[in-house]
Amino acid sequence: MAEASDRPEGSKGWFWTGITIVYALIVLFPIYWMATMMVKPNDAMFARPTQWLFTPTLEHFSYVLDQGFHWYLLTSFALCSVSTALVVIIGTPAAYAFARFEMRGKDDLFLFILGSRMAPPVCLVIPFYLIFAKVGLLDTFTGLTLAYMTFNLSFYIWVLRSFCRDLPVELEEAAALEGWSRLQIFRRVVFPLLRNGIVATAVLCFIFAWNEFLFAFMLGGKAMQTLPVSIPKLITAQGVRWGEMAVVGMTALLPVLAVVFVLQRHIVRGLTLGAVKG
Amino acid sequence: MASASEPIPAADTAAKMLPRERSWYPYLLIAPSMLMLVVVSLIPFLYTIYLSFHAAKFGRVTDFIGFDNYAVLLADARFWNSISIAATFVFIAVPIEFMLGLIGALVLNQNVRGRSILIPLLFMPAMMAPIVVGLLWKIMLAGSWGFLSYNVLERFDILPGTSVFASPDYALYALIFVDIWQWTPFMMLAFFAGLQALPLGPYRAAAVDGANSLQMFTHITLPMMTPLLAVIGLLRFIDAFKVFDTIYILTGGGPGTSTETPSILANKMTFEFWNIGEASALAVLVWIAFFAFCSVFYQIAKKRLNAF
Repeated sequence: MAEASDRPEGSKGWFWTGITIVYALIVLFPIYWMATMMVKPNDAMFARPTQWLFTPTLEHFSYVLDQGFHWYLLTSFALCSVSTALVVIIGTPAAYAFARFEMRGKDDLFLFILGSRMAPPVCLVIPFYLIFAKVGLLDTFTGLTLAYMTFNLSFYIWVLRSFCRDLPVELEEAAALEGWSRLQIFRRVVFPLLRNGIVATAVLCFIFAWNEFLFAFMLGGKAMQTLPVSIPKLITAQGVRWGEMAVVGMTALLPVLAVVFVLQRHIVRGLTLGAVKG
Repeated sequence: MASASEPIPAADTAAKMLPRERSWYPYLLIAPSMLMLVVVSLIPFLYTIYLSFHAAKFGRVTDFIGFDNYAVLLADARFWNSISIAATFVFIAVPIEFMLGLIGALVLNQNVRGRSILIPLLFMPAMMAPIVVGLLWKIMLAGSWGFLSYNVLERFDILPGTSVFASPDYALYALIFVDIWQWTPFMMLAFFAGLQALPLGPYRAAAVDGANSLQMFTHITLPMMTPLLAVIGLLRFIDAFKVFDTIYILTGGGPGTSTETPSILANKMTFEFWNIGEASALAVLVWIAFFAFCSVFYQIAKKRLNAF
């Protein structure tokens, strides 16, 4: 991997660093602005001209807690954990198989998986709604978990396969010559090497589920309200509760903030479906 | 990204060398996943096709009516309006994101310090919930008190007193602006990952020959980056075409139908007009278009990037 410091333009480093920092500040400014609104009193919020200094308040936090928004947080967390765990359990063997073995019609199956991932959610929500209504899966945990499989299972298989392909096959061959069974080879050779890839891909799945709005909104109903779905609830008949929205929005951002620092290089690979190895 | 310059035939040899016999083992490994995807992806798709050929209103599916839903849809001015809105959105937003992203990647590829902090922060917009993106910009561009509404749009007398999302003339461009805000940093970092993987040899040779940096860019960087640029650009194109959440929260397709993309229209047809037959016909058409885009993406990424 080439390091830019090897390149000749080294001396102007601070100039380019400055430009990048300014750009990053511009990009991040709306997030900072929303963060300040969590503790901004309403009169300061709507002030014209824009008011930069104010006495912080915790009233937005207490309203959000009074209205029971921590339950939506819990729902989100449970749903994302369970659906991600299911994806890892059934998706890992499939990703390995697609990376390592010859199969009849493999290319077609693979394109089918890509198609599942890329399908616009709006197209899926129509049949899901009608089918779920028939079989009683509307407003249920199981229903949403199933719906999230469409984009996350396909994503997981597709990306983890690219991690599998990076592993040297020689180790598995050596183990096979030693007379190890296929299950032993997978557990003792492949899995330890693949662990980082599994974690990175699973974390991305978790975030996609965490961020998901349409399925939760249309299929979750009153019983299954996730954090993103709870945000529009703050547009009330008495007006829009901006400060409270900021609190919920920033809560929804926290895991993302952790993930960008932890995953870094894997995000490009994930979001380009393994096409670009970051 | 090393595979662009030096293909690693790992998977091919693996497939040949490990289990030579065509056994049941790989099929067993993929069976649970494929079964799940048949249930959550193939069946809904086939059901949508079924619905699109039936009279289905208010959740009740009645007679088989052939292509009538499609005929009604194709004669519907609102459908063609949604196509042109989506085309405007995609063909303005994506090229700008692409160009700015490429420029940003070249800047970042200079001797920029503190990348380990800057890069994660620049990933934020792409990784955050679309609903939160919508919320951020609802706040920034709220009528009268929004930070940008007051300090830019009103001060320079562009659109005083109202939110830009309530303006039939400007709402679409505001959505394009939000999309550019969200995706340019990601394009920049994806291209940067590609630049970092380029081999140094050609640059050293060109430097010996006295080439300037513009020549190096057009003769070395650009040709080597082309497949990667194509794949990332195409992926962004596909994603931009299906944007739903951000538009839904910011304008809901309005004012009027001025920001109504096919996604928004299909959703309205289903959950507001309960015209499920026509909505399904629209979904099937969108689906077919997506399969076409996906297979192009797959072919380019597989053959030119050796990625899959």
